[in-house]
Amino acid sequence: MNQTTRLITYLLRLGTLLSAAGFIASTLIQIYARFFMESAPSWTEEVARFFFVYAMSFAAGIALKDHYYVSLDVFYNRLNDKQKSRLRVGISLCTLVLFLILTLFSVQFIVLGIPEKSPSLGLTMALAFGSMFIMGASVSFYAFIDTINLLKKQS
Amino acid sequence: MIGVLIIVFIVGLILRFPIAFSLGFSCLVYVLLAGIPLIVLPMKMYSGIDVFILLSIPGFILAGNLMNAGGLTEKIIGFCNHLLGHIRGGLALANIGASMLFAGISGTAVSDTASIGAILIPAMKKEGYGAGFSCSVTASSSTVGPIIPPSVPMIIAATLTGLSVGRLFLAGAVPGLLLGIGLMVVAYYISAKKNYPKHPRSSLKQVGRAFVDTFWALLMTFIILFGIIGGVFTPTEASIVAVFYALLIGTLVYRKLNFSNLQSIVLDSMKTSASLMVLVGFANLFGWILITERFPQLIAGAILDFSTNKYVVLLLINLLLIFVGTFMETIAALLILFPILLKVAIAVEVDPVHFAVIAVLNLIIGLTTPPVGVCLFVASSIGKVSLTEVSRATMPFLAVSLLVLVLVTLFPDLALFLPRLFMD
Repeated sequence: MNQTTRLITYLLRLGTLLSAAGFIASTLIQIYARFFMESAPSWTEEVARFFFVYAMSFAAGIALKDHYYVSLDVFYNRLNDKQKSRLRVGISLCTLVLFLILTLFSVQFIVLGIPEKSPSLGLTMALAFGSMFIMGASVSFYAFIDTINLLKKQS
Repeated sequence: MIGVLIIVFIVGLILRFPIAFSLGFSCLVYVLLAGIPLIVLPMKMYSGIDVFILLSIPGFILAGNLMNAGGLTEKIIGFCNHLLGHIRGGLALANIGASMLFAGISGTAVSDTASIGAILIPAMKKEGYGAGFSCSVTASSSTVGPIIPPSVPMIIAATLTGLSVGRLFLAGAVPGLLLGIGLMVVAYYISAKKNYPKHPRSSLKQVGRAFVDTFWALLMTFIILFGIIGGVFTPTEASIVAVFYALLIGTLVYRKLNFSNLQSIVLDSMKTSASLMVLVGFANLFGWILITERFPQLIAGAILDFSTNKYVVLLLINLLLIFVGTFMETIAALLILFPILLKVAIAVEVDPVHFAVIAVLNLIIGLTTPPVGVCLFVASSIGKVSLTEVSRATMPFLAVSLLVLVLVTLFPDLALFLPRLFMD
């Protein structure tokens, strides 16, 4: 399990870094082209958006793993340890359900995108819609790991 | 049905669901109950995120983090201390000044509280300032960040309504400066009353040297702002130019960036942005449901039935936003409420840009409003002071923030003067 987690985390980090480099580079090309070329290419904005959505999707799961999502602590702090632990399991389970559904239905979304073409590059939109599958699957994965760890702790 | 959506969302918040997931889960429950096909989840998530201007958010966050890797926080604090340290309560004034300068680089209040507070709260306590006062100055001054450009909430407001980001950035500048100056006046008054320390006056050479240290970082704010206003860059391009510039400065001038810390800075910035984008995606679905249920019209009707007087309506909206801002994170509140309330504001002839400034100002004031202002939590944990003590010490600063809000609400020119001057 640990090895799988490590591999998935590594791949998600790599995906995040490469996609971030992608949207930075394509926006820089857009700026360069506007100032130094006769006509700016039309594909840069589309490519930048594509990489941006992928960067966010790759990073969404590792953001959950590293506790980047903001929540309110007001009432939570009034609970005892046992109640806190049960609540955390409940939250993890609900997160898992939410993102599993997102993952499952993003497959249908990808299929819908196959005949659609992107305006500038003419690529199938299934490629772009695939980002939702990655987002759903990566958050589901860490929500699952979190649930297992919490249940292990409880028992 | 709309009741279920809102109740599930609020219960989720109370039960400590991350705000983004609470939004998502409430939408899921609604979609299931209403029998809407579940494919709407990925569809609305995707269309919410796939917006070119939103790309500027990871851009600005990354540029700020890259700059900060070069020890920028210390440099900005040092510069402000040289400039203001000789006045009674100098360190408190330097704290506020640093937040105003830092605002141009980070754009979020919580990160300002954490980074400036980590250095200045212990330093202020060591010099004999009250612990509660030190924390409250830090928390209150960090709220200047999201209103002075570049501002993440303003980018979100622009995305939601199609308003110009450049206009919104400019509109936030004067209210942000007013807020900063107001906080400085209160800090000076309290410091003089409690006889807090002052430093010897720095020589012109020392001030100059400290300025040179921070010059490259401050230049970034000007490149961003004037690049956008001058029509040289779009906001997204400006954010990426800022990243490129910060990379150059971090490598060639500050010499603190290398391959390994660059990776962790990029990852950290992308994780922060992703947590916001998941929120944006679910908020898009949430907003779609609200529109389907004609909720904005319902709220607008209820408010306008109560009164059609512009100032009464703005007062009601201000009260609602401060209340919500106290409990909810700025971006989440903006995503949910701004499009709804903008309709009401436009109905009573409030300028949309003016209203965006009012909304952001309200929500950031909420960050330091007891009992659950997020910045108060962060400052109290850094200063190891009870939340009650920090809340009590925050009251005078909160009063001045509310005064600025009243001024900006009553006098639209405070917000609209700069956009009219530079962009009309």
